[in-house]
Amino acid sequence: MQSLQLAIDDLPGVRRIENCTKEEMTGLVMEMTHAVYPHDQIYGQYCTIQSYVECPPEKAFEYLSDVYTLQEWTFSMRNFSPTDDPGLVAAIDRIGGETEIYTRTIANRAAMTVDYHCAWDQGEKLWMIYLMRVVPAELTLNKPGCVILWTNCRHPFYNENPYPEKAPANRKVWVGDMWPFFYAGHQIELENLKHILEYRHANGLPMTVGDLR
Amino acid sequence: MKTISLIDVASYMPRQVVDNDFFSSGDDESVHAMFRGVKHRHHVSADESAVYMIDQASRRLAEKLNLNLATDVDILITNVTCPDMPFTGCGATVAHTLGCRPKWILDIHNGGCVSFIQMISHAQSLMTCHNLKTALLCNVQNAAGRIFSSPENRVRKQARIPGDGCGVGYFVANDESPVKSVVHRNFGEYADDMAIIRDDGARWWEPSMHAGYIDFSETKIADIMARANRIVPEVIFEACRQAELPVCEIDTLITNQPNRIFLRNWREALQTPKENHVQTFERHGNLFGAALPICIEEAMSTGQLKNRSNLVLGGFSHAGDLAASAVIRWRPA
Repeated sequence: MQSLQLAIDDLPGVRRIENCTKEEMTGLVMEMTHAVYPHDQIYGQYCTIQSYVECPPEKAFEYLSDVYTLQEWTFSMRNFSPTDDPGLVAAIDRIGGETEIYTRTIANRAAMTVDYHCAWDQGEKLWMIYLMRVVPAELTLNKPGCVILWTNCRHPFYNENPYPEKAPANRKVWVGDMWPFFYAGHQIELENLKHILEYRHANGLPMTVGDLR
Repeated sequence: MKTISLIDVASYMPRQVVDNDFFSSGDDESVHAMFRGVKHRHHVSADESAVYMIDQASRRLAEKLNLNLATDVDILITNVTCPDMPFTGCGATVAHTLGCRPKWILDIHNGGCVSFIQMISHAQSLMTCHNLKTALLCNVQNAAGRIFSSPENRVRKQARIPGDGCGVGYFVANDESPVKSVVHRNFGEYADDMAIIRDDGARWWEPSMHAGYIDFSETKIADIMARANRIVPEVIFEACRQAELPVCEIDTLITNQPNRIFLRNWREALQTPKENHVQTFERHGNLFGAALPICIEEAMSTGQLKNRSNLVLGGFSHAGDLAASAVIRWRPA
């Protein structure tokens, strides 16, 4: 244990109470604390947002686990239908005109995580990954309801479409061009999600929608 | 309210310049981030009283403006960090020494690092209510030499930050360089987060073998930093709004200069380019209330402050009990 500890403290960039005094630590955190941060510095490579929702965590998880609810709370994913590949669902992302979007949902009830693995134009390589986590507010905020966390990572494909041949002809936009608006766009969708969940919960409505066709 | 204008400023810097070797840790890099970045500061000597400093700066100002001190000062206001005499203040002595005959003398004590802005408000109110025309506003910071140079105090980590200096400003009821807005916000809840400490617990008026010094509540440092990051940009935004000045059109920004991190954060929050934020932190340290008039003189002498530009003053006092800002349209004619 002792030798491992020494090795850790020698690692470049590792700062722990053993190799960095409390005083130095205070200095570092003050240096790092600004009054404002450029948007790109906060949301340039990762986009994490969160919201409190007045709805029990289990019900929020149930809603998110049903891929077909995306057509309610997202801004532009519509016309969902199953594909031949079990679990893979096709839809139209109207932000890209007639763009097809494919989604596979990986939900973990114990962790209350729901990850949407998506891609525009093709369903083989699902690289647009929306990581959602539901956290009980009872534990984290000492009140009923839940907190929903949502993260996207800037996959290199956001910067350049790897399958331009699969795009609809004459489509001018690429999903990654909108990365600088992801914070705002996702925030609006998270608000949608919050209002819908709160409405469904308050009125005792079902938390799934299923295939609407 | 009458329109009042800042006509000119002048300063007096104490003779003694102190470099970092004077303090326990001469090496600037080894000190806490909050206390880094000052290379030199001035310290008052025993013979440099607040009265003397104001006298020197005011005589320079009078010479620049060709003032007749006997007739051209209706209002005299002073703010001194470490007063020559705590009971009386020094305004009356200053008036006598300069040969002024002001109708009003005020020694204000609570404005701290933004007392210059507070004094502008007082001057404007007095000119308006009593139909007066001229005001001499005087800031003295002398806590560095008087408090932080003692052998007991100079080993303290914060001792290297304060620097002494005096700045005076002359205001006239006209529209030569009009004050377009002044905003003050009081936050009484923060008033007790800064205190005069003596290591044996003695209060400042009680007998003690220990030197007193100014300190901030250790547990509140993060909170003080967060509030300073917030209240200073907020009050500057409000003063700009009242003056109908978009913040992107601030040509000269002058704030108090408590440390380089606040200077950076305020500039960033206002998106003011570094060259438009005039400060002398590296060679003068924290000048407390004197920073504003001294840095206005700096901006004038370097040519940074140009005619027809927007001069914005701002900052906060002590641990945040007062935030204030003023917008001045500099020599528009």
